[in-house]
Amino acid sequence: MKLLIVEDDRDYADSLREDLAALDHEVTVAENGRDALLALERDRYDAVILDRMLPQMDGAAVVRHARERGQTLPVLMLSALGRSVEKVDGLEAGADDYVVKPTPASEIEARLRALLRARGWQQQGGDGDTLRAGDIVVSPGQHRAWRNGRALDLAKLEFGLLAELARHAGSYLTRAMLIERVWSYDFEPSTNIVDVQVRSLRRKLCAPGEVDPIVTKRSVGYMLRA
Amino acid sequence: MSSLRALTLFFLAAFAAAAVLAGYLTYAASRAAVVSAVDRRIGEVGDAMLSAVAPGDSRTILRRIDAFSRRRDTGDIGFELEDARGRRVGGNVVLERTLPLGFTTLRRRDGIVGLSAGRAQSRDAGGGLRLITIAETEPIDGYRATRVRLYLIGFGTLLAVVLAGTASFGWIVRRRIGEVRATAAAIIDGDLTRRVPVPARGGAFADQAVAFNRALDRIAALVEQLRGVSSDVAHDLRTPLARLRARLARLAERPTVSGEELEAVLAACDELLALFAAILRIAEVSAGERRAGFRPIDLAGLAEQACETLAAAATERGQRLSGGPFTPFMVRGDPQLLSQALLNLIENALYHTPAGTSVTVTLEREGATTVLGVRDDGPGIPAAARALALRRFGQLETSRHRPGHGLGLPLVEAVARLHGGTLTLADAAPGLAVVMALRMEA
Repeated sequence: MKLLIVEDDRDYADSLREDLAALDHEVTVAENGRDALLALERDRYDAVILDRMLPQMDGAAVVRHARERGQTLPVLMLSALGRSVEKVDGLEAGADDYVVKPTPASEIEARLRALLRARGWQQQGGDGDTLRAGDIVVSPGQHRAWRNGRALDLAKLEFGLLAELARHAGSYLTRAMLIERVWSYDFEPSTNIVDVQVRSLRRKLCAPGEVDPIVTKRSVGYMLRA
Repeated sequence: MSSLRALTLFFLAAFAAAAVLAGYLTYAASRAAVVSAVDRRIGEVGDAMLSAVAPGDSRTILRRIDAFSRRRDTGDIGFELEDARGRRVGGNVVLERTLPLGFTTLRRRDGIVGLSAGRAQSRDAGGGLRLITIAETEPIDGYRATRVRLYLIGFGTLLAVVLAGTASFGWIVRRRIGEVRATAAAIIDGDLTRRVPVPARGGAFADQAVAFNRALDRIAALVEQLRGVSSDVAHDLRTPLARLRARLARLAERPTVSGEELEAVLAACDELLALFAAILRIAEVSAGERRAGFRPIDLAGLAEQACETLAAAATERGQRLSGGPFTPFMVRGDPQLLSQALLNLIENALYHTPAGTSVTVTLEREGATTVLGVRDDGPGIPAAARALALRRFGQLETSRHRPGHGLGLPLVEAVARLHGGTLTLADAAPGLAVVMALRMEA
């Protein structure tokens, strides 16, 4: 992806750029809102990573200006505090997602990919009712799921988890993203609730001899094989 | 005009000017009334003197003057008859100067015996004669001076009373303001115990002093709390930071570092970050910012999700978590915060009890109060240690070695307070019951 980082903290911007470059992304850094808007006019980017607190023009103002100028690319906002008022402001200004610093590059990448995929669905005219991932079929409408034609007996959260993984089959979803999307929590519990839930989902998905369809990537998250 | 002194002086000057003007107008109006009454009277008497008298008949006029002077109702009127050259022909008074025709005001210096102020009318009596009729305009001699003295005493007294009243009012206000100022100065200097003296007899100043003191009490309590929190934060951040530092120092001495060792250091960093997240979260909740996001929610659904979320974790720990299904339970609140509070309560019960413990979540309505309870049949907390468990960073000695940052229950308490409720720890005999009582509208 061709990414624009807008961040006034040089050290943090540099480390984020190195980490994202190591994940094969082309990264440009802008230190303030004006430079960011100029860069967006000059070049085409796939997504923007925008700090909430910037000198002079703050992150919310930058995204508002960008949207007014017709920029539709995904914007991921970074915040040092993570107060909910701030989050609401950022999203209302036109940001697509919001995470609290320090955020690992893998988390940022996973979120940007999900945002780009969501853009793709909109162009295709919406999310189809039945989701397919390999030998797994999920019907969110009927609240039912099957593997190899065998109906799965899933609890509510297990079903939500599987549906979310199936919606993004083939890409990794981080623990934080799953907590937000499946549980709708805006906090991270002390218990590793995602890992625990994935373990019990795995037990129900795999009949003896079947391959585990969920892939774990250390310190990133989980993916359902496409 | 902003200072109290300038305001007082301005008021007094305005009042004095008004008093002097009122006095002068009263004086002038009463004098004009007297003058017009006297003029009318001497005019009528003069008419009577000259009625049906042949021009130049001075004898008849002088006879009438004589007769008028003896009558009681006209005895106070003075007359003088003069000839064409202004020489006195007769009458009962002697004028020192020749008066013009018409009305004239007379004063003491006109030298008429027994007259300090009066009016005279000079008229043509025919045949070159002139009749001058004179009457006093003062009921007593020197009345003008007396009247000025009376006015001075009356208005002067009034002015003095107002002056004294204003001065003492100003003094009282200044003294009260001074007391508040002295208190504010003492507080600025760091003496947070200083309060404004409350007047014993009550009244507006007492009410104001009480309100001011209550604000100071609240501020002092908050400052005290802040002091406590910051020393707790400093104390409890030192421990994990010191541990992290020691670990890093050990790694720094090694020629090579394994991924596993780095993972452990990262985990320690994550713990610190979680601690900061909890501190910020409590601050956000305590500030009441989240109240704006209150909306109708089904508390039963949240409780069921919390139980389902942690049931598998409980099973893995060899514990049992039960709760629900509950009947729908609509309230107004913040679903995120209530979920976090529920999770914290359940995690608290799971992590502080041994394997084999049962944890039960209950949801009930008692009148207008929603009661959320998490009970366990573990070892419980002694009554004396329960208050400590609710304090920020108030980890009990027995749980120091367990995971967690000690901000779980304080966050639950802050969430309970935001929803107009309380958090209490009770004996579940055996075990602990943590009860959140919330006053939420349905």
